[in-house]
Amino acid sequence: MSEPFDGWAVPPGSLTDLALIEEGGVRYPVLDAGAARALLAGLRSAREDALLRDSAHERARLLGRVGARFLDPADPLRQEAEERLPATADLSPEMARAVIEGMARDWTGERLTGLLASELPQPEALDRFVPRPGGGRTRAFAPALSFHVGAGTVPGVSATSMLRGLLLGSATLVKPGVGDVVLPVLLARALAEEAPRLASALAVLYWSGGSGERAESVALETSDLVVAYGGDATVRSLRERLPVTTPLVAYHHRLSVALVGRSALSQERLPAAAAALARAVALFDQRGCVSPHAVLVEQGGEAGALELAEALASELERLHRELPPTHPAPSQASAIHQLRRTSELRRAAGENIELHAGPGASWTVVLESSANLEPSCLGRTVRVHSVADALDAPDLLKSVGRHLQTVGVAGLGERVEEVAAALGKVGAVRICPLGEVPFPPPWWHHDGRGPLSVLLRWVDLEG
Amino acid sequence: MALAPALPPSPEAAPAEPSFDRLVADLDGLFQQGVGEALDEPAFNGWALRVFRWQFEHNTAFRGYCLGRDATPATVTSWEDVPAVPTGAFKRLRLLSAEEGREPDAVFHTSGTSRTERRGEHLVASLRLYRSALLPTFRVQLLPDGARLPVLALVPSPQDAPRSSLSYMIGAASETFGAEGGGWFAAADGELQKDGLLRAVEAAIDAGGPVLIAATAFAMAHWLDGLARDGLRFVLPEGSRVMETGGFKGRVRGVSRADLYDGIVARLGIPMNRVVNEYGMTEMLSQFYEPVLDRFQASDAGLGDRLHIGPPWVRTRVLDPVSLALVPDGEPGLLCHHDLANLGSVACLLTEDMGVAVADGFRLLGRLPGAEPRGCSLAIEELLDAAQAT
Repeated sequence: MSEPFDGWAVPPGSLTDLALIEEGGVRYPVLDAGAARALLAGLRSAREDALLRDSAHERARLLGRVGARFLDPADPLRQEAEERLPATADLSPEMARAVIEGMARDWTGERLTGLLASELPQPEALDRFVPRPGGGRTRAFAPALSFHVGAGTVPGVSATSMLRGLLLGSATLVKPGVGDVVLPVLLARALAEEAPRLASALAVLYWSGGSGERAESVALETSDLVVAYGGDATVRSLRERLPVTTPLVAYHHRLSVALVGRSALSQERLPAAAAALARAVALFDQRGCVSPHAVLVEQGGEAGALELAEALASELERLHRELPPTHPAPSQASAIHQLRRTSELRRAAGENIELHAGPGASWTVVLESSANLEPSCLGRTVRVHSVADALDAPDLLKSVGRHLQTVGVAGLGERVEEVAAALGKVGAVRICPLGEVPFPPPWWHHDGRGPLSVLLRWVDLEG
Repeated sequence: MALAPALPPSPEAAPAEPSFDRLVADLDGLFQQGVGEALDEPAFNGWALRVFRWQFEHNTAFRGYCLGRDATPATVTSWEDVPAVPTGAFKRLRLLSAEEGREPDAVFHTSGTSRTERRGEHLVASLRLYRSALLPTFRVQLLPDGARLPVLALVPSPQDAPRSSLSYMIGAASETFGAEGGGWFAAADGELQKDGLLRAVEAAIDAGGPVLIAATAFAMAHWLDGLARDGLRFVLPEGSRVMETGGFKGRVRGVSRADLYDGIVARLGIPMNRVVNEYGMTEMLSQFYEPVLDRFQASDAGLGDRLHIGPPWVRTRVLDPVSLALVPDGEPGLLCHHDLANLGSVACLLTEDMGVAVADGFRLLGRLPGAEPRGCSLAIEELLDAAQAT
């Protein structure tokens, strides 16, 4: 058994003499209300000196210098992440590596600068009033103190959220979910070494539901803005506990699908589509909000849903070795066996269904006869449906529209814009090539809103 | 009636079963022998192979399923090789094993844990077989002293809930073993009729005669809440007992079993060792009970030490959730029940319930919540609820 991971990073001198708890391989301090208040007051008062003396561009450069270290396999920081991630995030070492690579791609200076440019055409608006095209002036204020509550499903999400806060110059408290403790803590520790001034306005602190209640209440009461990732129930509960004046940026449950059009279904193009699709399903062991639950395959191509399901199955089998899953939880395995065997029985009863399944409860592809979209039980389980035309897809997705996020597409050719518009109408917020599904770019409209602009408060100066 | 001897385990030589009714009659004879008589392995195997053959030959979906798994009456020589049907399949298929054209005697629906969940249907070909399976087990586990008691049922009556197997079961038991003074105290929608219940309890106390209360854990918790709110406490006459069921699998509004039982002791004056958990499912016609009245009358075994046992015509295996192979003794796994009373549907059921094998029964660990997706991925229930709301 390796040493537990210390699931916190706070400015030096704060949080001394605290009782530690260990849970699921993560050790963390228990804060009473007083300690939490002192910590947050410290972050808030450090902000001016730590973050606001530099321009946003300079902060992007400093943050990016540390973030990029996760991309260098020889860097000790990257190595520690690779070593620590599998056990705490419940991922295989191969998957952990792929997730670090994919996430950290957006943590470089170049990408963070790109994010600034995309979100704030006049980034200096963060530092002073800038003229508006229609007249008058305006200035963007970041929340003095932002509180980021992670879900823990997908490692890296909390670190990305933390970078967004710091980039805007917000003193930042991150409470990652248990499966996502390693990356924000390592990133914060490295920042403390390389950019200590900046890190004095940053704290990363894991706590579990019960033990952290007091600290969480203090953080919810005192923060100027809260960003939350999690299930609908978590978001609802946070909303209820927040002061009415505190904005909540909530990323609730999401579901993603794929849509494969006719022209991707030729002999030459089918293998590539199937490979990209399989990778999208397998990454994060399908726990991501971007992970496809179902694939809609357009009729009228050289190949159809049947062939795509077969190709997808053989790609998933290959990824089972290349990016192995971890041992599934009993509930997951049970749900998968229920689905597989029920599919076998439905087929035996004459329904037009094909089942492809990997060893144990590893991966499952069901070629469905029904057009009803059902959410996957995850664990690399995906249903393949046939649709007469790509433009029929939005109708099928209507029922899940409120939770719909990414639609990975291929083979739509010139129709892509028309189809994208129809998908957007029913709720989708991101239409992208199959190969891009797992890792949206930093400037994507996260669940439909600008990732930085959603955090800002604009002050207009008229006259 | 003469019992058909178990057939030798060479199914190729076995004659085809003449008819469903004949098999029902034979099984009925077996069940009539009672719960006390153990069925040894070869005998159980013989019966199980007869049932398998019947189902293979009279259930198209099941036959295709078995063929896909290379399991036929010619290749299956042990009941453990009969392909297990997932309980979830009852939500998608009509799994009736009977002569063509035969209509089921009853169709029971699973309750489902959320308003939008797809419901399962158990087509019961023979209610006679259901009764002959449920009655002896009920008698041994709840009335081992031979008492005839008024049954206070906190579930809707079979007339009000014709799709509820639980209502049917309690109805059959109270018809057979019940006494004057009982009744049904829940409306069709489950709403408790608290006033009537109060009068029945007071009448029992006045008369000094014990009663049997049959309830879902949910209804019981609800009733006890009401009694607590009204500050009411009773001491039901000595010999009273409770059968509670359906709790602690999925959600029972966050009430722990210990709290529920403490409430029964405090509010009804029925000691903990007279509260029996029944574990059953709509998809299965036999039931499991905690043998607290039958065996441990004098003992106060802690709730954690309790086990469930089934009648001799049911065998339960504990399977690894991933490989579905038998787990080593003492390890937790998925419960897979083989119930001969399920002749008219499918006998071998792969459940979503976790348990550990102990002595001659198993310890129930609870129902898996289904693959509860974590974090930002979608909870199936939330999705369906949201879809419903649109």
